[in-house]
Amino acid sequence: MVKYATMPVIETRNLTYTYPEAAKASIVDVSIRIEKGEFVLITGPSGCGKTTLCRCFNGLIPHFYHGTLEGEITVAGLNVKEHPTYEMAKYVGLVFQNPENQLFALSVEKDVAFGLENLGVPRDEIRSRVDWAMKITGIYELRERAPYELSGGQQQRVAIASVLAMKPDVIVLDEPTSFLDPLGAKKIFEVIHRLNRELGITIVLVEHRLDLTVKYADHIIIMQDGKVILEGDPHKILDSEDMRLIGVGIPKVTRLYQLLKADGVKFHGKVPLSPEEMAEKVRRILKTHD
Amino acid sequence: MSMFDGLKYRRVFSPIHNLDPRVKFTYACIIFIVAILFWEFIPLLVLFVIQVPFVILARVRREWLRSMKGAAFLASVIFTVNFAVSFINSGYMITFVALEYALAMTFRFLVLVESFSIFFLTTSPDHLGLALEQTRVPYEFCFAFTTAVRFVPVLAEEAQTIMDAQKARGLELEKGNFLRRIRNYIPILIPLIVSAIRRSLELAEAMESRAWGVSKKRTNLYELKLHGSDYVLLTVTVVLLVAAIYVRLYLPVPRLAEIFDYFAH
Repeated sequence: MVKYATMPVIETRNLTYTYPEAAKASIVDVSIRIEKGEFVLITGPSGCGKTTLCRCFNGLIPHFYHGTLEGEITVAGLNVKEHPTYEMAKYVGLVFQNPENQLFALSVEKDVAFGLENLGVPRDEIRSRVDWAMKITGIYELRERAPYELSGGQQQRVAIASVLAMKPDVIVLDEPTSFLDPLGAKKIFEVIHRLNRELGITIVLVEHRLDLTVKYADHIIIMQDGKVILEGDPHKILDSEDMRLIGVGIPKVTRLYQLLKADGVKFHGKVPLSPEEMAEKVRRILKTHD
Repeated sequence: MSMFDGLKYRRVFSPIHNLDPRVKFTYACIIFIVAILFWEFIPLLVLFVIQVPFVILARVRREWLRSMKGAAFLASVIFTVNFAVSFINSGYMITFVALEYALAMTFRFLVLVESFSIFFLTTSPDHLGLALEQTRVPYEFCFAFTTAVRFVPVLAEEAQTIMDAQKARGLELEKGNFLRRIRNYIPILIPLIVSAIRRSLELAEAMESRAWGVSKKRTNLYELKLHGSDYVLLTVTVVLLVAAIYVRLYLPVPRLAEIFDYFAH
């Protein structure tokens, strides 16, 4: 599962940030390295600094929020501290939690075009890129609808299309499914999985629902109290006992695996992250018992 | 609120909807100017009637009737006030002059509502924003306009949710006298304003993330171009204006009293 690449698309070193007039830092000493083409999952209990970290990736911190940012952060080869958000926007697309508050236009295609219009891209190219982004995210049929006529899941796909149209290197999604129903959430995850596998776009996904997402991830980062406490290959991370103590909801299949293993069931290979992987392990054991 | 209902855009496909918003706006303004040129009843009635085909062509008859019904109350107030004033001025006598003046003022108002109602009923806010942009209004204003329109239904829904929540906590909105009732709305307004401010911050964040303000030369996905039908309406509008000015300057406009006299003899 792990891809070997040499160029990090996001790299932070000892990143510490305090919001203006805040008593303590929201993220502390964060040093992470995200490779090009990876699917990264960031998780951790509420208030652990995940959103703050996302805002650093495209320069909303420090340019929009001010406050004090210490340490180093490089995204797509640019020092975020020196490049304003609108420049970073070409390389990093940010999708927010509430789909309603990130759509401004009165029609879907106008919204998808918004970023490109700002960049001053010629009209013909806007048209072709907007159509392309709408087709990939499966909202082409909705292109003339107004945002309030769409479901939350559809709105969120519009938001994804609107950053995709700018052809960024990285798409950062900050809990994109917390306002959605399970089916809408599943569709969102499938869309971003496709963007990662087919277009090679680096995905940074902040998400609580590991059940649905961990199977896509190459790399998982777990945060608590502003710090990165566990990081690495999801198979290794999810098997560690620490995970449960932090209060991150690990997938039910993984928990089932751990319980059976504690009872003395001998499984082969790595910890399962999806029902499919678990089923495979169970089948193997049943076969040896026949 | 019914008068404003008649101004709300409805997505229908019709030849009028396809017209360039700038041309339609010019039309509405010129109708307004022509209406001001006349203070006699007959030309204003004509002005009112010649717009009816537009309404039918635009297939917004029901909405238009609603806006007219909404305007009826204000129209009757205008009529009463004007009539009463001339009634008193003419020494408590009912005269044709007074009647004509009051009717003319009323119809001037109705013509105004009619033409702008056609404009707003058939022009999508998106097109309106685009028209503003192409008439070189600074983009920030156009953006503020379309965003405001976009968030009207969102805020309306939110107001409803807050109202339900406060009612569930025992707030009685329709209780007490007039002042008391206004005071009842404070627990609804405050959360609504707070959440609107919070929403605006999130919006600003999303705008920044999509390269807001990067270049002075912004492009637009759409471009407004004048088509054949736009030139037709433009010609009609100009002819109407010229004809109105000509009639005003060189032709006698029949008055209600004269018509009455003609039929009486």
